[in-house]
Amino acid sequence: MTKKEIGRRDFLKKAGAAGVALGSAGIAGGYITPRKVAAQKRAIPKGPIRMAAVSFLTGAAASPFGIPGMNTYQMMAEQYNKQGGILGRKIELLSYDEAGGVDAQVKLSRKLILDDQVDVTLGYISSANCKAVLPLSDELGGLIMAYDCGTHELMEGTTSPYKTPKYSLGFRTKAHLGIDNIGLALYIKKYFPDIKTMGGINQDYAWGRESWLIFETAMKKLMPHVKVVGTWWPPLGTTDFTAHISALMGAKPDIVHSSLWGGDAVTFSKQAQGMGLIERSRMAWSRGEPYPQEVGKEYPEEQIICCAGTHYFLYPPHDKWPLNKYFVEEYRKRYGKYPTYPCYHAYQAIAVYKQAVEKAGALVGGWPTIEEISKAVVGLSIQTPSGHLMIREDHNGIEDVLVGVSKMTPDFPFPILDPQRMEVYPAHMVNAPVGIRTVDWINSWQS
Amino acid sequence: MWPIYILNGLYFAAFIFLISLGLNIILGVMGLLNLAHGSLYAIGAFMAAWTITRLAEGASIFILLPALLTGTALAALFGLFMEYFLIRPMYKRALEYQLLITFGALMLFEDVIKMIWGGEAIYASTPFVLLGRVNILGNPYPAYFLLVMLLALVVGVLIWLFMAKTRIGVMLRAISLDREMATAMGLKINRLGTFSFVLGAALAGFSGALVVPTTPALLGFGMEPLILAFIVVVMGGLGSLKGALIGSLVVGQTRSLGIAFFPEIELAVMFLIAAAILVAKPEGLFGR
Amino acid sequence: MAQLKSFVRPGLIIYLVVISGFLFLPRIVSTFNLILFQYGITFAIVALGFNLLLGYTGLLSFGHGAYFAAGAYGVAMTAKYFPDLFSLEILIPIALLISFLISAIFGFVCVRHTKIFFAILALALSMLLYALLFKFYHLTGGSDGLYVKIPMLFGHTFANMRRPQFLSGFYHYFLVGMFFAAYIVMKCIVNSPFGKALQAIRDNEVRAELIGIRVRRYRLYAFIISGMYSGLGGALWGFVNGHVTPDVSHWIFSGELVYMTLLGGFGVFAGPVVGALIFNFLKLYAMGSTEYWMFIIGATLIIIVLVLPGGVAGGLARLASRIKQPSDKGAA
Repeated sequence: MTKKEIGRRDFLKKAGAAGVALGSAGIAGGYITPRKVAAQKRAIPKGPIRMAAVSFLTGAAASPFGIPGMNTYQMMAEQYNKQGGILGRKIELLSYDEAGGVDAQVKLSRKLILDDQVDVTLGYISSANCKAVLPLSDELGGLIMAYDCGTHELMEGTTSPYKTPKYSLGFRTKAHLGIDNIGLALYIKKYFPDIKTMGGINQDYAWGRESWLIFETAMKKLMPHVKVVGTWWPPLGTTDFTAHISALMGAKPDIVHSSLWGGDAVTFSKQAQGMGLIERSRMAWSRGEPYPQEVGKEYPEEQIICCAGTHYFLYPPHDKWPLNKYFVEEYRKRYGKYPTYPCYHAYQAIAVYKQAVEKAGALVGGWPTIEEISKAVVGLSIQTPSGHLMIREDHNGIEDVLVGVSKMTPDFPFPILDPQRMEVYPAHMVNAPVGIRTVDWINSWQS
Repeated sequence: MWPIYILNGLYFAAFIFLISLGLNIILGVMGLLNLAHGSLYAIGAFMAAWTITRLAEGASIFILLPALLTGTALAALFGLFMEYFLIRPMYKRALEYQLLITFGALMLFEDVIKMIWGGEAIYASTPFVLLGRVNILGNPYPAYFLLVMLLALVVGVLIWLFMAKTRIGVMLRAISLDREMATAMGLKINRLGTFSFVLGAALAGFSGALVVPTTPALLGFGMEPLILAFIVVVMGGLGSLKGALIGSLVVGQTRSLGIAFFPEIELAVMFLIAAAILVAKPEGLFGR
Repeated sequence: MAQLKSFVRPGLIIYLVVISGFLFLPRIVSTFNLILFQYGITFAIVALGFNLLLGYTGLLSFGHGAYFAAGAYGVAMTAKYFPDLFSLEILIPIALLISFLISAIFGFVCVRHTKIFFAILALALSMLLYALLFKFYHLTGGSDGLYVKIPMLFGHTFANMRRPQFLSGFYHYFLVGMFFAAYIVMKCIVNSPFGKALQAIRDNEVRAELIGIRVRRYRLYAFIISGMYSGLGGALWGFVNGHVTPDVSHWIFSGELVYMTLLGGFGVFAGPVVGALIFNFLKLYAMGSTEYWMFIIGATLIIIVLVLPGGVAGGLARLASRIKQPSDKGAA
């Protein structure tokens, strides 16, 4: 009963108050010039906030990925609207499909910013789409917040130290793929110190290539004796992995690193199980969190799974972090499933936007411009269902990361992460400092 | 792992063979390259996947039969409609119109699939899981892939017998050899054209239905196989059935061995082989 | 009298109206629609070249995306590897050179065939380029593609300019200028003896051979010219789009080029231009208004093939000649 009394509404209120308090602290810190503060007292526009949400709604990535993300946007927009919207303005959520390739997304984004003149775009799962669309934020003058894509190069320069931010109106409200792959490497070193060989199967574009790069760099530093026996690069959207799986079985690595996501991960898992790869090698999934639930009880045990942050429906534990309990219950009530990491990412994007607008709005005394909003995003630290998220001056979020292995329990109809073998690596262990490239940072570690 | 690589190549060749066989029959008899052939393959796959998911509760391997039947039948039906309403008015028209109308059909069918089955992937792996694995020289291998090869072989032999021994088969071959002569001999070109188109569509649908237990059915499903079927047809020679067989074996093995040994450039190697064959023998291996 | 008459030719008036319309466009329409129009103009250049092959030589290529990609990647890869050369006056010749080389090699293989063999061969070769662009991730960015920044011109940078400003300012006039230059050059080509020879080849290959036209070589020339037009269009498109991906080398994109040409009508010189402009608006508005935009595009294509085989411009021309004929008779 005592648990219930902390109630979700109270918690939200407190979280909100904390946000405002932090907001004013940020202003005192001088993120916005004082002159503007004194001069302006602006009206709040009448109409709703036009918020474009872009996520995979068709194709293989829709059901395990795009749609849960979009569901969360809808859920949170309704929730915020019920609480009075943002600075009194209601959110009008416009949903768009991310399918169709990079070129289609460039065109869509241009339409959203120039023609539809949306207030903000929250979206993009695919790293390729992020890389292509984020430059449009400054080019066209539109606020874009990437919510799920992982490419670490998105916000990094070509040499260390690099200048930040790369885009003045482009953000990513989550940490990049560095946390997944460094987390995996740390975990493997701790729990599987005896491995001799590793291989990789990653999609043939920015996401897959960079995931492997970071993983390999970290492994070389942490476990220099481990040999790479081969890497495979199926294109995004491959439906037949048989040849890749056979090749992996032939190479016999102890650990197979994979950043496959969406439908590709499900397809690969099924085919790998059918062909017997799982019995020969242990998979290490840099973003494996959604698939046990997606595949069900046939999902193999003992797979190393990273949660793209601490985004897990059982972590942080509900008694210690009621916001997660609220989020999981609310999501489950609406959509009949447990939220997966895209849901948490969507929550982060919409919450960052809300709090940044409120912070900037309190300062300018009215509705802030997108430049003012983007200044308010920097340094923002918010509470999310997964714990704490901070957006740094490189316009990138940093988070802790959770890694575990799958295990069947009597409590759920699918394997969960074994509670005895869960590891959380704090943000400072898996995120490079501002201005330092992740690869350079890893290479500078004293082993 | 060598036997497994070879088997993978054969498995791959098997379903590419079925697709390119259909494409090649249509090409030979009607002189028409059906750009929407991949969509017919996808329609077969979606229909079969849908059937399997409907019947999956406590099913046995025989669930595959209705799936293959419905998949093939629906693709054939789409083929019939397509031939009747779109291709027939094009018989006397120039090549560009014929190609473009199948290109239009390709775009149309993609969205028709979306309208019928929705945009999300359908997984129908029950038969694949049920058949389990067999042991090939100490390596596990899914029995379902062997079944695919077997069925493709059976269908291939049946088509060959049909073309060689039956009256209609001989007429079809006569048309693809010399269209004008066949017309002069009084063959009913239009009706035979319809027949060959529906046969080609059915083969594509059958291939899709056969493959779908191993992969998800999703939008754009027919694109990659269509390209591979093009390569097969170009390599083997336009309209040649023997060419389709050899071409798909080359494509299948190139893919399997390519992924095993030079994964970085496997796709390009396939096109390079096709280009090399064409430079050396412009009409393809068995073209005329 | 005759002089005066030739001066007020309706054709000339139409040209003047169109030119001034194009030039004043940035003041009339919204930035977004202006950019859509610019997409259309770049495709119009491609379609002009494409029609030299299809309409005038009688060869249907399902692989012209390859030469478009050659131009677009020529620009984007120069930006990546030789940032000092990233200036319009250098980039356009580079794009032309690369598309010349690739279309010369591919064309040499293709023109040995005609009809459907030619179409499939062109398709297969463009897919070869696609596979290379896709697979060499570290060189070409793979399926992520490459970013194209705003170029310089004779040492003048357009720094601190947002792309819409750049596009609706200087670049618009540059684009329109390039388009009319390409238009006039193509007009000269089709009316030259070379152009007449191509038409003779199209109408009857054997007869053309007999009167001394070297058929295969002429076809190759036509192929290369149309490939270079695609390359030019691709390069100009790269700046408008700001990003290039291997998709432009995929045969589906080539199919869209054929679609545009047919939509406008390949029997009329200006037809493909009209088709390219219409196609762009059709596709974007279909995409914006419904989830099933492919259905709309596909159905439109089928209807055009079935009932309006001459395309939009062809239909208009027929209509015009029907109106004109009675009046001509009246004058006589």
